[in-house]
Amino acid sequence: MTEAIMAHPALRHPFEKTSINDTGATVLASGKTIKLAQSLVDGNLWVTPEDLTRINGFELKPQGACYQELCIPIKEDSELLRQVSEQRWFNLTAFADLLEQPYVADTENRIWSFAQAPAKRSDMMADAMAPDFELTDRQGKVVRMSDFKGKKALIITWSSW
Amino acid sequence: MPVWQHIYEELNDPNFVIISAAQDTGGEAVVGPIFDAANTTYIQIVDTNHTISSVFNFLNVPCAAWVDETGKIVRIDEGTYAKVHHFGGNDVYAPALIDWVKNGTQSEFVQNADTVTKNIRSLSFDELKAEAAFRLGNFFREHGYNEEAEQYWQQARSLNPDSVNYYRQNLTLSEEGSAGESFRKMMTTYAEEGKDYYRPLNLEE
Repeated sequence: MTEAIMAHPALRHPFEKTSINDTGATVLASGKTIKLAQSLVDGNLWVTPEDLTRINGFELKPQGACYQELCIPIKEDSELLRQVSEQRWFNLTAFADLLEQPYVADTENRIWSFAQAPAKRSDMMADAMAPDFELTDRQGKVVRMSDFKGKKALIITWSSW
Repeated sequence: MPVWQHIYEELNDPNFVIISAAQDTGGEAVVGPIFDAANTTYIQIVDTNHTISSVFNFLNVPCAAWVDETGKIVRIDEGTYAKVHHFGGNDVYAPALIDWVKNGTQSEFVQNADTVTKNIRSLSFDELKAEAAFRLGNFFREHGYNEEAEQYWQQARSLNPDSVNYYRQNLTLSEEGSAGESFRKMMTTYAEEGKDYYRPLNLEE
């Protein structure tokens, strides 16, 4: 065995402590950090339809909650969707349970972290279609797999550790 | 990394892109200088949450996928060392890649959808949940909540004890670093138990 490669020293210094949630809640999903200005928490996390789309791309339509070709039927006034005053609320955690999408919640700090939804990866598992992703490159440009149709792409990972 | 830059320049093909994603919670401060030192001109992403590994179900780092013009994966989840490496590395991968870029579907290294889907790891509920816990740990670490970070990284480890990535990324916080005594012990256990550190590379498949 050759000599051990040590971690970069910067990794061992703790990051400066900063506030997590002054108000609202935080959702971690699809590589993104989404701050919610409003939410309801009653053991489940309820979000607005607009935030649902920001979080996982699903949109509420008459036929249900839809992402591309996939639509999950949703009834009004159900355990997934309800109206309080003028605001509609979508039960994000119950929806994840329905999709068998795992998540981990830190309710004390009001943070919910969602894994990939298996349903959104069915194309890759069935037909070898590359999954879409959305990340920002070092120049600040948004990079999506779907941007590269018509080109060959090598997707490569590496790390310093 | 200079190997990929060299290939990228040599091919000089406007219809070929390289997307290089550093799976590193240390972020730009750690990986930026490495990208810069290699004078990389392809797409560079600082992927602190290991999103690419997650969406492609990669077993380890480094790993790669080839995606063709139609968005289909034609090879996936292979260690990509272009030179001989301790842990099952090789010097045949880069030439295979060049062959594919030049010859497309005619390349002998293109795999059909059946072979590719067979080579995609399927993840259990707990393995997926481990990704969510790891991501939460990273978030706490970025905000200076080290106890909580450790708690959720440990949870990720418990949910997916075989993940080399969580283990080694976690070790970067320790004095011994990610390739010290603990890592060597883990590799010995892996070898004894006959587990794959990388998915074996089989270019004839």
